Amino acid sequence: MVQLWTEKYRPKKVAEVVGNQESVKAFVEWMKQWEMGKPSKKAALLYGPAGVGKTSLVLAYGREYGYDVVEVNASDWRNEEKMKAIVGESSQYATLDGYSKKIILVDEVDGIAGREDAGGISALRKIINETRVPIVMVANNPWDQKLAPIREQALMIEFKRLNKTAIVKRLKEICEKEGINVSEPLLSKLAERSEGDLRSAIMDLQTIAAGKTVLTEKDIEVLGERNRVREIFEALRYVFYAKSLRGARAALEGVELDPETLYTWILDNAPNQIPEIDELAEALDVLARADIYFARMNKLQMWRLMKYAIPLMTGGVSVPRKTPPKGFQKFTFPEKIRILQKYKNEREIRQSISMKISSKLHLSAYKANKEMLPYIGFIISQADNSRAKIAKYFEFTNEEIEYLKKAYGKGEKEEVLKITLESESQQPGKRTRKSRRA
Amino acid sequence: MSLEAVATLPWVEKYRPKTLDDVVNQEEVITSLKNILKTKAVPHMLFAGPPGVGKTATAHAFARDLYGPSYIEDGWFVEINASDERGIQTIREKVKMFARQIPMGGEIGFKILLLDESDQLTDDAQHAFRRVMEQYSTTCRFILAANYSNRIIEPIQSRCAVFRFRPLLKKDIIDRIKWIAEQEKLEVDEAALETIYEFSEGDMRRAINTLQAAASISRKIDEKTVYYILGYVSRGEIRKILELAMGGNFTQARDELRKLIYVQGLAGSDIVSAIYRELFYLDLSEEDKLELLDLLGEVDYRMAEGGTEEVQLMAFLARLAAKSRKKTRQ
Repeated sequence: MVQLWTEKYRPKKVAEVVGNQESVKAFVEWMKQWEMGKPSKKAALLYGPAGVGKTSLVLAYGREYGYDVVEVNASDWRNEEKMKAIVGESSQYATLDGYSKKIILVDEVDGIAGREDAGGISALRKIINETRVPIVMVANNPWDQKLAPIREQALMIEFKRLNKTAIVKRLKEICEKEGINVSEPLLSKLAERSEGDLRSAIMDLQTIAAGKTVLTEKDIEVLGERNRVREIFEALRYVFYAKSLRGARAALEGVELDPETLYTWILDNAPNQIPEIDELAEALDVLARADIYFARMNKLQMWRLMKYAIPLMTGGVSVPRKTPPKGFQKFTFPEKIRILQKYKNEREIRQSISMKISSKLHLSAYKANKEMLPYIGFIISQADNSRAKIAKYFEFTNEEIEYLKKAYGKGEKEEVLKITLESESQQPGKRTRKSRRA
Repeated sequence: MSLEAVATLPWVEKYRPKTLDDVVNQEEVITSLKNILKTKAVPHMLFAGPPGVGKTATAHAFARDLYGPSYIEDGWFVEINASDERGIQTIREKVKMFARQIPMGGEIGFKILLLDESDQLTDDAQHAFRRVMEQYSTTCRFILAANYSNRIIEPIQSRCAVFRFRPLLKKDIIDRIKWIAEQEKLEVDEAALETIYEFSEGDMRRAINTLQAAASISRKIDEKTVYYILGYVSRGEIRKILELAMGGNFTQARDELRKLIYVQGLAGSDIVSAIYRELFYLDLSEEDKLELLDLLGEVDYRMAEGGTEEVQLMAFLARLAAKSRKKTRQ
């Protein structure tokens, strides 16, 4: 079972949390107040940039001190009834036996503010008032106007970007545990790239370490230089490693990436990420349906169809993916782009040949390409002494003749031919029947 | 023996019917056209029928009979292919250019414009074209050739005399191939003729092309020669893609598929047709073939609905790969 290192190496104890020691201390103190029964505030809001350990701290604390951390998605807060049930139940258990103490963790609370209904915020506020268990909220940007009422109720704990040294140290520990030989300058570069985001640094490390035991500075080159590409890689990780539809759908949240671009990346990475062919067939089936939603959306200008296309194209690959590849599989650039570049010249030659055939033979260029070009190519590459005549008739250039000879002359096609002839000859009964009927 | 003569001209051109009498198996159409020639009252005409039955050739033969052998050089006849022209604007320009002037000395007061593959025009373009037909009808008559007359809008159909071209019969194609073989001094055996016919699917152009390609490797043409050509020229690529997918090389199959689409520029619908032809011969259970056939139909429909060709076809290839995998496991 392949695990993302960001999960595998999440801190198990509070002391293992990297950096932001002041903030860690503030959180631990607040939790102690709860244990004494008198918290200064009923909720805490941990805020700061991504990948600096906000959620990890809560999980580590819960693990170390015997709390169940109940994670709720921000969108659940819309449903006040359900939330009351969770909170109410949790507090009851807490008073009865003390064994299953609970922390309620609300991730991406700034996401609520972005949504159209402010009802979520007021519901959350009410619940904070009534709760008997600690509520920890996490946000990147807590300064949204709509979050003002919550800010008042919560203990605000800021997390900052991690410094380079701390990141390098952590990466080194991981490499040791994974048995990877790694150079200091490489780790330093990874740390630099991450801009204080430990999670993305670990992600990058796992990406370049796939299947290797020695890493050098050169290995970093496989990671895209541009920010945009990094965003795509990260989105892809979300998509393929998602455990739920909700998680997969979130791949596009907070990223400046249009869904149709991400789609091409998902499409071309699917075969490597989903080695089981049955699962791949399922995934491509769902991707094909997502494609139809895009088509309908564009055709009918029915933009609301996007909300079906996105979970289909993201969850559509993570849900059927039951058997991940052995070892971490690198994400790759879409093949389509490469093919278009590689064969640009060939494509143009073919077009020019088709145009010439078209003007001579009363055919559209398309039909000339499909119906005539292969035959002419074949004939040209067979009959040496008449090549000049045919070429002259169509006014082909030397380059065009060379292309036709290469594409339809003897060579790479021999093998195909063998396959074809063999499988045809395996069906003698069929052929006779057919001829008789005709 | 020298093969020199074989490839001087594409035979589809060399053996194209030159006069109306050369056109095969379209007696009703030809009789009506001859009547029109007598009166010289030429209406706008719509030639509808499957590919390779002689629509374009008939239009040319008609014009030749009407204007004489230099009908093109003298500027009486021009041919535009609708599927290559983007939008009505270019067509309108070309028509205007063409119809504005009448050559000197002709006894016929109008020219003929052949709009080939006119069912490729969008509805909007057709509506615009309908007005063009009216504007220029005194100086220009139109022949529209189309595979499907129902894709031509009613107002255009009602302005045209509609001629339906029949699919060619087996006998028509075999007789013609035999005749060409005689002219070219080839020996073609019965089994080879059968195979050429079967693959042509009633399209004379395809049958003649197959014959000429076969003739370029041997003067004696038997069934094996024909299969060689078919495998080599027309079916090899699709075959290869299917074999790759069935052998578990999905990504390679995908890359080859992309070459067909983006390098060769084949339309998804044509790739589907080619897969359809091969599907019945694949080494799979009949149940699996049935399922794949259904899926292929869905792919076909989805592409028509605007689905991306490579995506829809990839989904098919992956399913094919999964089916073959299941088979080898059993």
